[in-house]
Amino acid sequence: MRSSIRTAAFLLLGAMALVAADSRTCWTERKLGKATEADACFAELTRSNSALDRAEGLWGQGAFEAANVSFREALTRDPSSLEARVRWGRLFLERSNPREAQQLFQEVLKVDEKHAGALLGMALVSAEGFSSKAEELAGQAAAADPSLLEAQELLARLALERNRLDEARAIGRKAVAMKPGEALDAMAVLAAADWLEDKPVSEWESNALKINPKYGEFYGIAARIFILHRRYKEAIALYEKALKLDPENWRDRSELGVNLMRLGKDAEAKQNLEAAYNAGFRDAATVNTLRLIDSYSRFDLIRKGNTVLRLSKKESELLRIYVQAELDRAIAAFDKKYRMKLSEPFQLELYPDHEDFAVRTMGLPGLGALGVAFGDTVAMDSPSARPPGEFHWASTMWHELSHVYVLKLTDHKVPRWFTEGISVHEETQVSKEWGDRLDPPILKAVREKTLLPVAELDKGFQQPESPSQVLVSYFQAGRIVDYIVETWGWEKVLSMIADFKKMRPTAEVVQAELGMPAAEFDKKFQAWLNAQTGKMANDFGEWEKKMPGLVKAAQAKDWPTVLADGPAVRDLYPEYVGKMSAYELLANAYAGSKQPEKAIDELWRYARKGGRDPGVLKRLASMLAEANREKEAADVLARLNYIYPLDTGLHEKLGGLYAKLGDKRGAITEFRALVAMKPGDLAGAHLQLAKAYRANHQLKEATDQVYLALEVAPGYKEAQKVLLELTAANP
Amino acid sequence: MKIIMALAFLLAMTPLVPARSAYLIVVGHPGEDDYKVRFQGWAQQIENALADSPEKPQVKTVGATTGGATLAELETAINEAAKTAGADDIFVLILIGHGTFDGTDYKFNLKGPDIRSAQLAVMLDRIQSTRQLVVNTTAASGGAMPALVKPHRVVIAATRTGTQKNATVFARYFADAFSDASADTDKNETITALEAYVYAARRTKEYYDQEKRIVTEQSVLNDIGSGVGVRDPGANNGQGLLAASFPMLRLGSTAAAAANPEKAALLKRKELLEQQIDRLKYQKESLPPLDYRRQMNALLLTLAQTQAQIDQ
Repeated sequence: MRSSIRTAAFLLLGAMALVAADSRTCWTERKLGKATEADACFAELTRSNSALDRAEGLWGQGAFEAANVSFREALTRDPSSLEARVRWGRLFLERSNPREAQQLFQEVLKVDEKHAGALLGMALVSAEGFSSKAEELAGQAAAADPSLLEAQELLARLALERNRLDEARAIGRKAVAMKPGEALDAMAVLAAADWLEDKPVSEWESNALKINPKYGEFYGIAARIFILHRRYKEAIALYEKALKLDPENWRDRSELGVNLMRLGKDAEAKQNLEAAYNAGFRDAATVNTLRLIDSYSRFDLIRKGNTVLRLSKKESELLRIYVQAELDRAIAAFDKKYRMKLSEPFQLELYPDHEDFAVRTMGLPGLGALGVAFGDTVAMDSPSARPPGEFHWASTMWHELSHVYVLKLTDHKVPRWFTEGISVHEETQVSKEWGDRLDPPILKAVREKTLLPVAELDKGFQQPESPSQVLVSYFQAGRIVDYIVETWGWEKVLSMIADFKKMRPTAEVVQAELGMPAAEFDKKFQAWLNAQTGKMANDFGEWEKKMPGLVKAAQAKDWPTVLADGPAVRDLYPEYVGKMSAYELLANAYAGSKQPEKAIDELWRYARKGGRDPGVLKRLASMLAEANREKEAADVLARLNYIYPLDTGLHEKLGGLYAKLGDKRGAITEFRALVAMKPGDLAGAHLQLAKAYRANHQLKEATDQVYLALEVAPGYKEAQKVLLELTAANP
Repeated sequence: MKIIMALAFLLAMTPLVPARSAYLIVVGHPGEDDYKVRFQGWAQQIENALADSPEKPQVKTVGATTGGATLAELETAINEAAKTAGADDIFVLILIGHGTFDGTDYKFNLKGPDIRSAQLAVMLDRIQSTRQLVVNTTAASGGAMPALVKPHRVVIAATRTGTQKNATVFARYFADAFSDASADTDKNETITALEAYVYAARRTKEYYDQEKRIVTEQSVLNDIGSGVGVRDPGANNGQGLLAASFPMLRLGSTAAAAANPEKAALLKRKELLEQQIDRLKYQKESLPPLDYRRQMNALLLTLAQTQAQIDQ
């Protein structure tokens, strides 16, 4: 247990005049690998008259609950103690309770806004939450106490996490110079910087291990940096090295488990996570991930060729029909486009519970993403994880699969903005209707020209100033790739991928491949973008003013007003296909004015703009079918299979339309889906599938299905008739 | 649907259509205009489906167009049914509207004074029909279950308990069961109370799943005359036997062949085949899959051939 205690916290004590020197000594000895001396030191602290010292001693012994009690006692005895608050906060932070920690640090900062320990604590809390404020706070801590080694080490780590290698190295060296015999974490950052650049040997590794040959956390720090660079395999190797030196570092063991999961190595993951759990390391990520692994008994693994689907048993029979077909199609397209084949089995996992997906991804619930790619594995929401119409699963799948190719082609060295940009670009290559619409925050950014320069676009993903900046950055990255493809062709994207594999910075790659400095590229891109979206961005305010009036008129069934004003309002912001869109209101007005053909035209506009509300699309399909435009009706309904296929009515209608249109394969697929959903009328579904097979001359399959229909409903006359016909034709 | 399979045998023995069927649809006080339109629509949907059925049962609706029935109107309608319905007839009461539960008693909201579940039970006891179906589609309707259960009576409630107090959607799907042929899962051209219940419960669940809403209603059924209602009637809880043989809506003429003496032997053969199929289904788990499939297919083919001869 003891060796699992994080030791990085101790350097902070240098900033505290009131804390006994003994406590600092204990932590230093622990960090430097002097286990016997450290143990004795902490034991002595537990016998101190000072509650604060006892707390440190108990903490050092791994008696966290007792340490917690002693910190409380210390504050009861001296309610004004800032040091006790900071140290207690650090204990909370180490024990995965950043909220309590933050509260204590904030209490200190209210009294002393330049308290280095509290500022550092806040920086660490922010860093755990990947907040852009972490660097600022760490900088403030370093300024408040220039001798505070831990602040410098944190600054170096943050710079490296954000891919600023030169800066990370400069700060790291400065930290080492401050305390050459103690700055092990700074050395870990320096070594990680070397390894990120594929240098096989780093002098910093041997330097650090000379000081403490058992300092496994050296590799743990590097592993976490590699994870943030999405280089999971190398991170796992580093965790394994860390654990070889310090097998009881349960945090590292748990993180190793979580990352093995990411690569689909479930058995090894479980083994490591259980070891951490059984040793008492039960943070949310460990517990949630173990629960998720247990839940895998409720999933099916479907293997086909080089692919594996992990689907919930409750929907796998249905989803495999569409997901496998789409995955096969995407892989075939990408093999050709990226000129490589996936060498290792590729696993695609769909989670019907979004929180399971979040745990799968981060170990913690609450993730806002729809899908995540980890090397050869992609995890994403199932269409059932979100309300119908909110989520285009196929678009997400193509997006994530594209990451898999780009990460492989670059050995995971591609900058975040470029791989996201390619993925967003790929979303709309199958159909312009896929991908995301232009949301108000994007229009605002275009209008106010707050898009980031291409050379700094990674910041929008890694240090966003607001949640909406991430959204805007996805859009911007996608449009940049659109622009490159449109202007220079796809070949140029492949060349850039090759450049990024060599870890060349974005500005250099832009200059080399596109023949201009990054700043000039930004100007040209901005002009290109303005030509496409500038008007809409400028008109958005007008749309916001006029839309409520249109909605009001539609609610009052004032169709003449809707028909008069609707088209202009619609065209101010044609990308808006959300609830109560102008398309829908206009369609209602046309239908209410006995102009069904125009209502159909309007709803078609909605569909072609990427409208995804199943209710609206089904309405369009019904209107088309009524107007004997059955091919179009089928085309509309087919879109819903990519949005929300868990709908028996959809498959029944679409299957019927395909059968009528003579699309035999289509009818079979849809009725297979209907049967897979086990609808209320299961017998009827089997019979429809039987008829579809019969139409396609698959008489054995047809007979099997009709028997299944009759097994459910033995007296089903229509099925009996079909059975007799089939057996007469094929005795 | 094990229960449905098990009951095919029972159905074969029980006349599907008793002498007469009487339906009473009571629409309660809607509160808001929006609900008024919905309640009226669901009542009308059921009424239309019954009017279109070959059986043409007696149907009375109160409160749909008047902003909700009053207690007097409800009592009068039940008393009328009590006078006309004989012991062999079936009686169906469908309550559409809002309900409340105060922790002890359930009330169906009417225009004016509401009716308590115990009061309603007393009124229903006046009806001679030994086979009764009470469908309470309101919020908190599970709270009325203890007062309404009685031998030979099927009671369906939209909510499991009285504490499920949010407005329900069960009524919408129960009404749909009258007009959606897919509710007839065993394809015998009769939608039974159990089939309608299963259909509505399934559609209600789908609604909450699709809308990603917290489930605030879980329908239940009781047809054993005591205890609580169950969500999934079946052999494991002994519920559903009566409901499975309770015809709510006939979609076609299933009895015509029975009137022809020349078909008697064929009908007997058909009946035996159906029994064999049921028995085989029960043996499914204990048989090798291929044996089961071979035997089942042979029986189903013979049954189809027999039915063809009956229909000639």
